[in-house]
Amino acid sequence: MEVIFVLLPLAILIAGVMLALFIWAVRSGQYDDLETPAHRILFDDDHPASEGERARPDDADEEREE
Amino acid sequence: MSATRRQRSRAPRTLCAHCGLEVPPSLLREEEQLQFCCEGCRQVYGILHDWGLDGFYQRVERSGGRMAPASVSGRRFEDFDAPELLGAEVLETERGAHSTRLFLEGVHCAACVWLVEELPRALEGVISVRLNMANAVAEVVWDPEQVSLARIARALDSLGYTPHLRRRGTLEHVRRLEDRALLIKIGVAAACAMNIMFLHGALYAGEHHGMDPDFERFFRWMSLALAVPVVFFAARPFFRSAWAGLRQRVPHMDLPIAVALGGAFLFSGVATIGGEGPIYFDSLAALVALLLGARFIQQRAQRRAMERAEGLRSVAFVEFARRLDDGNVALEVPIGAVAIGERVEVRSGELIPVDGLVLSGTSSVDNAVLTGEPTPVPVGAGDAVFAGATNLGARLILETRARGAETRVGGLLALVEEALSKRAPIVQMADRISRWFVGVVLLLGVAAGAAAIWWRGGDLGSALEQVIAMLVVTCPCALGLATPVALTVGLSRAARRGIFIKNPDAVELLERVETALLDKTGTLTVGTPKVDRWEGDPQAIDLAFALEAESAHPVAQAFLRSHAHPVRVVRAVDEAHEIPGRGITGSVEGHGVAVGNEALMRDLGAPVPAPLAAHAAELLEAGLSPIYVALEGEVAAVGGIGDALRPDALATVQALAARGVRPRILSGDHPAVVERIARELGIAEEDALGGLTPEEKRDFVEHAIRERDAAGGRGRLLMVGDGLNDAAALALADVGVAVEGGSGASILAADVVLTRPGLAPVVELWRGSRSVLWVVRRNLAFSLCYNAAGATLALVGLVGPLLAALLMPVSSLTVIFSSVLGRSFGATHRAAAGRLKATGGA
Repeated sequence: MEVIFVLLPLAILIAGVMLALFIWAVRSGQYDDLETPAHRILFDDDHPASEGERARPDDADEEREE
Repeated sequence: MSATRRQRSRAPRTLCAHCGLEVPPSLLREEEQLQFCCEGCRQVYGILHDWGLDGFYQRVERSGGRMAPASVSGRRFEDFDAPELLGAEVLETERGAHSTRLFLEGVHCAACVWLVEELPRALEGVISVRLNMANAVAEVVWDPEQVSLARIARALDSLGYTPHLRRRGTLEHVRRLEDRALLIKIGVAAACAMNIMFLHGALYAGEHHGMDPDFERFFRWMSLALAVPVVFFAARPFFRSAWAGLRQRVPHMDLPIAVALGGAFLFSGVATIGGEGPIYFDSLAALVALLLGARFIQQRAQRRAMERAEGLRSVAFVEFARRLDDGNVALEVPIGAVAIGERVEVRSGELIPVDGLVLSGTSSVDNAVLTGEPTPVPVGAGDAVFAGATNLGARLILETRARGAETRVGGLLALVEEALSKRAPIVQMADRISRWFVGVVLLLGVAAGAAAIWWRGGDLGSALEQVIAMLVVTCPCALGLATPVALTVGLSRAARRGIFIKNPDAVELLERVETALLDKTGTLTVGTPKVDRWEGDPQAIDLAFALEAESAHPVAQAFLRSHAHPVRVVRAVDEAHEIPGRGITGSVEGHGVAVGNEALMRDLGAPVPAPLAAHAAELLEAGLSPIYVALEGEVAAVGGIGDALRPDALATVQALAARGVRPRILSGDHPAVVERIARELGIAEEDALGGLTPEEKRDFVEHAIRERDAAGGRGRLLMVGDGLNDAAALALADVGVAVEGGSGASILAADVVLTRPGLAPVVELWRGSRSVLWVVRRNLAFSLCYNAAGATLALVGLVGPLLAALLMPVSSLTVIFSSVLGRSFGATHRAAAGRLKATGGA
C-alpha cells in the first residue's frame, strides 16, 4: 500500500494540470459568453454551396482563433 | 371600384413577410405576392433574399423568437472610418486584420446570431463576426484592404441591426477581468474541495475501521496543503469585505464566514502539525466553493441586465451630426466636432443632434423626449429646437447653439445622474439578520467554550475545539446562500419573461408599494397617435386615407397606423398639397379631397353639417382632436386623432388597485387629457396630475418621499415611465420601472427595465417579487433552524468534524432546492399574464 505515497501526489498533480487548463480557458475568454454558444451549436449549415469558401485557409484559421 | 378589387382588400389580415406583424391596409401592394408592414422590413427582406440568407426565417421560427419591424437608419457611418479610431476602438491583429466591438440594435433571438455571423459570406473582406446574444455586442474582424468598417456598418444597418461603436478599455473591460478572476477562484476552490473531500472520506472511514498512523498523517498533511490555496487565494474576497466592514464598524455578512474560515483553518492547521485533534479542511473548502459559486451566478444575472441597459443607453443619444460646410456640402461628423454657430442639417425622421435655431426649412418636431407631450410642434425659421427631438417633416438647417452636455437634454441627464447618486442604499434583509447573527454566533462560541470547561471539566484545548466546532457548524453557509440563490433564480426567470431587474433591492422594496405613479404618454398609452372613431361618408374616408398616404406629416403617420378602417384600395393620387398647420388638399381619382382641421375647412369655405359637428364635439369631449374630410368642397366625414390607451392598461391599473396600491398619473400632457384617461381607467380625479415638467415630476416624487419619511410611513413609491422626462423621477422613486421602448435615460435611471411590450409585466413583477421574498424568508428560516440545531449540539459537545461536514452541505442543498423549486416568476404567473392579456383584449 506504500504506493499511495506516490499515487496520491500524482493524482493531485493531474488535478493541477486540469485546473491549469481551466484557468487558461478562462483567461483566453472562453467563459466570457456563457449563453450564445448554446444557441450557436444548433445552427446547422444548410448552404453546401459555400463549402468551398469555408475551406479557404485564412478564414478557417481566423475562425479557430476566436 | 371593381368587385374583385374590393374582395381582395377584404381578404383576411395580411402579415408582413419579414416580421410577421399585420400589414396596414394602406401599404398593401396588390401586384405583389409578399407584403411588408414597413419600408424597413421590405428592404431587409430583399437583402436577405439577395444574399441567399433566407434560412434566417426558418431559424426565427425554430427559436421561437419574436420579431420586431426592421428599422434601418440609413446612415452612412463615415465616422466609423476615422483614422483616430485605430488603436483605440479598432485594434489591429497580427496578420494585418482589424477588429472592433459593435453594439447592435434589434438583436432579439438566436436567429439574429446566425444572421449576423453569416456576414462574412455576404461581404468580401469580413473575416469573422461573433455576436454575444446576452449583451448584443458583436466582435467583428475584417481585412482593411478589402472592406471598410463603414461598409460593414452599412451592411449590418441594412439588415436591421444598427451598429454603434463600443468604447473599449473602460468599465466593461474591468468587469470582464473581474468575472474571469472570480471564475478562476471558483475553479481553484472547487478542485481543491473535491480532492480534500476524497482525502477526508478516507480519514472518516479510517476512524471507524482503523488506519495506519503513517497514512493518516500523510492524508492530513495533503489536505492541509490543498487547503492553503483555498484559504489564501480563493477565499480572499471574504476576508477583504469582512475587514472593510469591520473598519466601517458595520458587521458584514462575510464577517462570520471569515471568522469561521480563519478559525477552522488555524485550528486544523495546528491539529495537523501537532498530529492530533479534528480537522475541518473539507468543510471550509466546500464552503468557499459554494459561496463563490452563488456569488458568481448572482453577479452574472445582475450584470446581464445592466449591460443590456447600458447598450441601449448609448443608442439613445445621437452620436453624429451632418455638418454643412461653406459650400453647403453635408458631412457626417461626430457630435463633438460640431462647433457653436456651425450649421447642421437634419433630414426628415432624424433625431435633432444639437440645441439650435432653425435657419431655414419649415417642419414639425416631436418634443416627446423633453416634454412627454405627443403632439408635434410646428417650427420655422427663427424657432429654437432641442437635441433629442425628432424632425417629423421637411429638412431643417440649424445653427448650433449648444451640444453635448450643455443641451437641454444634457441638463436633464445631469438631473438623472444627480438623483441616482442621492439614493440611499437600502439594508438588505440578509444584512439585517447578519448584524445580530454575528453577535449571537460569537457569543454562542464563547458559551460553548465555557460549557466545555466548567460543566464537563475539559481543558483549554478541548474547549477551543468546541468553539471551532461551533463556528464551523453555525458557519452561515446556508444563510449566506439563502438570499443570493433565491434572488438569482428569481432574477433570471424574470429576465426570461422580459423583466430585467437591474437593482435587486427593488425586489425587497416592491413588497411595501402603496402608491404607483404612472406616466401617461408611452406608458399608459401607446405613445403614438392614431385616427379613430370615424363618422360620415365611407368613400370620403377612403379617399382621405389615400391622400394622407402621400404625406410624411405626423398626422399622416397617424393615418398609416390606424387599422380601424377595414376597406382600403389602392388609389391614384393625382395631386397633393400640404398646408402647414392646416392639413392636406389634393385630388384623388378626379375627386377634390381635403383633410385637415377646422381652420382648413373654414379656409376652404366648407360648412360642417350639424350631425358631423355634434360628433366632432363628442370627440373633443373624449379628448380626441377632430379631423375633417371635405369631398368636392363639402365636409363629408370627421374622425378623431389621439393617443390610444394600451390594451392592458385598464387591467393593470385594476390589478394594482385590487392589491391595495393607489394608482396615480403623472403626466406632462394637458390636464384635460390626463383627466379623461384617468376617467377611463377608473382613477380618482385628484390622482390625475397633468401639465408637469420633468423637473416638477422629480420634485413631486422627492416631496412625496420626504413627506412619507417625515410621517414615518413605510409605504413605498413605484414609478412607471418611459421617457427622458420621467427619468429623474424614476431614479428618485423607491422603485423605478422603465417600460418597453423607453428612452435610454429612463432605462439608465430605472431599477427594472421591461423588454416586453405593455403594462402587464408590472403586475407580474410585483407578484414575482413577493414570491421571491417568500422564498428568501423560507430559506433564511431553514438555515437558521439548521444553525440553531447545530449550535445546540455543539454546546452539548456532540459535534465532531464528521457531523459538521455533513450538516453543512445538507443545509446548503436545502436552501438551493428551496430556491429552485420556488415559483417566483414561474408557471402561475404565466397563466396570470395570459389572463391579463385576454381581458385587455390585445
